[in-house]
Amino acid sequence: MILNHFQTMVIFALAVSAAFAFLSKNTMRERIRYAVWAFLAFLLVAVGIGWLMYPFSR
Amino acid sequence: MAEMRKSSINPALVLVAAGAGWLVPGLGHALLQRWSKAIVYFFAVGILAVLGLWMRGNVFSSNSADAFDMLGFLADIGSGLFYFLAGTINPAGGDVSRASGDYGTRLFATAGVLNLLCVLELLHIGFGSKEEGHAAG
Repeated sequence: MILNHFQTMVIFALAVSAAFAFLSKNTMRERIRYAVWAFLAFLLVAVGIGWLMYPFSR
Repeated sequence: MAEMRKSSINPALVLVAAGAGWLVPGLGHALLQRWSKAIVYFFAVGILAVLGLWMRGNVFSSNSADAFDMLGFLADIGSGLFYFLAGTINPAGGDVSRASGDYGTRLFATAGVLNLLCVLELLHIGFGSKEEGHAAG
């Protein structure tokens, strides 16, 4: 199976944020909020770091 | 505010559940009747592990002399059954000559570490050092 870096990162972020939400929060409402926040944070930070490193890739 | 509860579970059951949870992700929580956690942990660890293997990630073995390979083995073995079924899930073995295989290696290691974290949480629940909300499931 061939997935590109972004697809792999999205699946990683989904699985890890869901697990972290259930590990750290008690109510379903808190878990959903935390999972969404963590998922978006994973993506934003990864894209941000990728963007910062872009000038060094050439 | 969620009602907090502390556990009064038989310590032997907790240890058995921890072993079961390591072997099959989520099974330990299922034995302690934390159904929603069991389902989420099984799928989170399972998806990462299977995807990592399908992407031809490297699976580290115990007979390595290199310290980093040994750390990789400790992470990989955390995924329990998926580690032992790695050869069945991906008979072709690892191929880190392509980026995809390298991503797979990381995904499989993440699955193992995540499962170890779930087992640790289970021990915290079982021995009563973690308070759970009413809807903790």
